[in-house]
Amino acid sequence: MSSDVTGSGRGRPEPIRAVPVRHPGRWVAVVVLAVLAAMFVHMVVTNKAFQWPMLFDNILSVPVVRGAVTSIELTILAMIIGIALGVVLAVMRLSPNPILAAAAWMYIWFFRGVPRLVLCVLFGNLGILYSRLEFGLPFDHQLGALFGIDLNARLFGVNAVTLLSGFTAGLLALAMSEGAYMAEVVRGGIQSVDPGQAEAAQALGMRRPLLLRRIVLPQALRVIVPPTGNETIAMLKDTSLVAYVPVTNELFFQLQHIGARTYAIFPMLVAACIWYLAMTSVLMIGQHFLEKRFSRGHGPRAIRLRGARSAGAGGAVGTEVDT
Amino acid sequence: MSDEDAGGVAQAQVPADPDRYMVVADNVHKSYGRSQVLRGIDLAVAPGEVTCVLGPSGGGKSTFLRCINHLEKIDAGRIWVGGELVGYRQVGDRLHEMREKEVAAQRSRIGMVFQRFNLFPHLTAEQNLIEAPCRVRRIRRADARTRAGELLTRVGLGDRGGAYPAELSGGQQQRVAIARALAMDPELMLFDEPTSALDPELVGEVLQVMRDLAASGMTMVVVTHEIGFAREVADTVVFLDGGVVVESGPPSQVLENPQQERTKLFLSKVL
Repeated sequence: MSSDVTGSGRGRPEPIRAVPVRHPGRWVAVVVLAVLAAMFVHMVVTNKAFQWPMLFDNILSVPVVRGAVTSIELTILAMIIGIALGVVLAVMRLSPNPILAAAAWMYIWFFRGVPRLVLCVLFGNLGILYSRLEFGLPFDHQLGALFGIDLNARLFGVNAVTLLSGFTAGLLALAMSEGAYMAEVVRGGIQSVDPGQAEAAQALGMRRPLLLRRIVLPQALRVIVPPTGNETIAMLKDTSLVAYVPVTNELFFQLQHIGARTYAIFPMLVAACIWYLAMTSVLMIGQHFLEKRFSRGHGPRAIRLRGARSAGAGGAVGTEVDT
Repeated sequence: MSDEDAGGVAQAQVPADPDRYMVVADNVHKSYGRSQVLRGIDLAVAPGEVTCVLGPSGGGKSTFLRCINHLEKIDAGRIWVGGELVGYRQVGDRLHEMREKEVAAQRSRIGMVFQRFNLFPHLTAEQNLIEAPCRVRRIRRADARTRAGELLTRVGLGDRGGAYPAELSGGQQQRVAIARALAMDPELMLFDEPTSALDPELVGEVLQVMRDLAASGMTMVVVTHEIGFAREVADTVVFLDGGVVVESGPPSQVLENPQQERTKLFLSKVL
């Protein structure tokens, strides 16, 4: 405001050229870190146990690349099922119907409480419990025996071992666990939307399914998308857990297998680190742009225009409190 | 427009005939937990009439308004809109709760304007206006857009149909909100302190739209602190405090010559 020759008419003074504050601590830190980094590089290069040629020979071999593809497939499928399940569970949990709300609560309680690794092994061994999976009336044999008839009310059945072969079991374990986490993310998103929005929609004669789909969920997306990115990155890493189902064509299983066969255990673990880091890095870049896109048009504009205080920024404030 | 006996009926203890009036409230009670918000409200609004509800904050004005379109459930008493019981069906001498579908159908005939506008921020002004007509009324999109254009022009925003709420001033947002309610062709309009969240210089434009609407013959129930608007536009002024109608009648009577001490005290503070 006062930079130009105006008002006082005294002209603009010389710009300030002050001596900056010195930061000796930073230089000490740089030296210490440089020494540590050099030590690390020295170890990596000179320690023969790393067996770098072994790593380079195998990291792009066909089974390993196939394993990476399997991991990506698992991530995508598990997230799709998990998100769909999460939306349904979140809507159930916020439903006025107490039975639906309680059922959703039970589901979330179970699948958030049991570790994913345990779930993976559990689903891989469900074949022990059932030789066949059948759908029909419950207790049909017992009820039949009660009335002295041979009642069989099974509608259809499949061989459990086929259904719960590695990939499906691993996918189910990851997807159902993800559903519980996504339910909480979606619930947070729905609750971050100003209740006045639902009221206005109701006052216009909209019913709950319509107002959720057209008014509340689109506004909740802004809050739901960033944590969903985190969930996807976490899911990609957690696909390594299905090695214990076991899913034999999965990345981590393949690398461990090669390591065990060739006695090059450590190089293959390093290869696993490199693979997962590469894949999660790609996802992190994607998430960065996704977040940028979804924060667009809300924050700055709402602050700039005072009229927006209630409608736009009201929701944004609630958002930050809720997450 | 002014209906001489409307004020008299609202004051009397005999319930008004629901078929003759747009809104009839008969001994309406409502409490939240142990606090009684409404303690026996009687009110009758004739078709085409404007009723302004005044009174101190916490007196139950907004709660009562929200009961009229069943956003709040009442505990006792009856409310009729257009001769139809709100939220319940009378079967014999028992009341049955309405299904969500029936409540929604009732609400779609009652327009409501909120203190904080509650426009849908992810939709443009025009989309705000056509969402409910298209999806609740099942009106063809092209027709709904034509109608939306007319309504936006009517509230003086014919050129802002493509703007998002965040790009509009508070006064413009509230005018869009009024147009949104009108897009459903309501037979009754409820206003819940429509100018209380506005900067002072923006109040006038919203009141002007409401004045025009009243002049066009719309039945309106307006909860407001704008005494000037009530004096000028209202056919009936209702003074609500402590969950009861303290005094009601034409503005010349209630505002210029109040009979009750509480009304006198309130008016002496706000005027």
